[in-house]
Amino acid sequence: MSMNGAMNGRRGYRSGLVNLGVGEISREIFVNEDIYAEEQERIFARAWLHVGHESQIPKPGDYFVSSMGEESVILCRDRAGRIHVFLNSCRHRGMKVCRYDEGSTTVFTCPYHGWSYGTDGRLVGVPYFREAYHARLDKEKWGLVEVAQLCNYKGSIWATWDTAAPTLTEYLGDFTRFLDLQLDGWDGREGQAEVLGGIQKWLVPCNWKFPAENFSGDTYHNISHRSVDLAGIGPSGAGRRDMGERDASRKLHVCIPDRGHQTILYVLPAGRLPPPAYMNAPIVAEYFRHCEEERRRRRGDESRLIGAPGEIFPNTALLSRQPRTMAAWHPRGPHQTECWRWFFVDRDAPTEVKQFLRDYYIRYSGPAGMTEQDDMENWNYAHAASRGTIARRHPYNYDQGRGTAVADYEYQGLRVPGEVIDLTEVQSSEQPMRNFYRRWAEFMEADDWSQLATWRVGERKAAE
Amino acid sequence: MSAPINVRDLVPGTSVVLADGAVAEIVTNPGDGMWLFARYLTSPSDPTLVGQEEMIFAPDVVALGRSAVV
Repeated sequence: MSMNGAMNGRRGYRSGLVNLGVGEISREIFVNEDIYAEEQERIFARAWLHVGHESQIPKPGDYFVSSMGEESVILCRDRAGRIHVFLNSCRHRGMKVCRYDEGSTTVFTCPYHGWSYGTDGRLVGVPYFREAYHARLDKEKWGLVEVAQLCNYKGSIWATWDTAAPTLTEYLGDFTRFLDLQLDGWDGREGQAEVLGGIQKWLVPCNWKFPAENFSGDTYHNISHRSVDLAGIGPSGAGRRDMGERDASRKLHVCIPDRGHQTILYVLPAGRLPPPAYMNAPIVAEYFRHCEEERRRRRGDESRLIGAPGEIFPNTALLSRQPRTMAAWHPRGPHQTECWRWFFVDRDAPTEVKQFLRDYYIRYSGPAGMTEQDDMENWNYAHAASRGTIARRHPYNYDQGRGTAVADYEYQGLRVPGEVIDLTEVQSSEQPMRNFYRRWAEFMEADDWSQLATWRVGERKAAE
Repeated sequence: MSAPINVRDLVPGTSVVLADGAVAEIVTNPGDGMWLFARYLTSPSDPTLVGQEEMIFAPDVVALGRSAVV
């Protein structure tokens, strides 16, 4: 289907390609090159995107080369300690001014003609400035392109190119509680996370939305990981995770309407601490037992929330317990995604705990992780089998649990925000995917943030 | 014509002779092979530069002056 066919007034994204009324989504949105190009402008140039973590750039001059959509960006700390995110492209002829993954520097020098930029983005060195430019070049005007907005939320660094985008916390809405589960300490203190080692990067031949929807809360594909469960890679020597806390909890799909963020969530019964975990490593088991008690003491009823896979629209995945990681799904063309995974620990956790978790995390996640390999197989072949002329005629099915989500969900006195489907008995739903693609369609259709900030309309009406 | 100088090898404290005859002492070397941060010690063509710290482009370095004691 051509872009014109996809976008004409009669069959817009919402009513045509993304048809949530019947739970169908066209394969075109995954394989069509025109739609992919449109996504770069309408989604990745306007949404808040996760760039990295402050623990990756602890000192002035430290930098980490990241990605926002297709584009390379530099996350760095300037000489005064301020954090910046710049487009990694020289203002003179566009060459990358930083070609390393990470490091420390005083300047970013373009290897093509030698324009040089300070870690605050200012153009500081221009070859033959006096001779060839006659000292007339306005250096203030030609610094590195900086993001429109940057937010350091509990150590995680987010950025957007859109000056009109809402603040990150407004963008997250009620989902902030679930990002907190990722970034706060296991013992309930705020913002204790640090990145463990380097990040892992790998390419998967699939559209970026395959991993994004998978991490939105696809519990239906658990059968794919059956072999890992049988192998028993978990931290207590069985399964792939410690399941005690999950078996004792209500299992939910939580979707934040209007925002496009969603997650699996476990809620423990009132007064119940998580059962023992990490039983193959006594030091680790004791550390987490102590942390759970502290978390209960600091957070009270809120500590009953147990995080699980989730997705912040558009391309950031959370996994706040076992293993504790974040991922970004960077688009690299309609048929390829570059996956990046950060591994987290509490920064003051004992060395033995960090070492144990590192081994477990790598065993589970990343390109060599046994569980992530299963996912890559699915996304790879699903994408390839959806590209053909005949395949494109047939939409995917997203009907599971349609019309069964509830608002104001409460379990033993603890209220959960958003639209919720209790999976404890029904096992699975596709509400998170519908929530994700509803937001995707809104981004693809909206002209600007005045249309995208749909929650403000409701707030205005309530105020009136 | 003398061989080009690899400015990546130069440590802070080293003085360099520039194409216009000025002499500058290296303050910081970012190690990119293109630039040096240096303070002017002499500058016959523009005396106002003396004492100032400027970025020096590698091709402008034509000779080494005093080496730093490492």
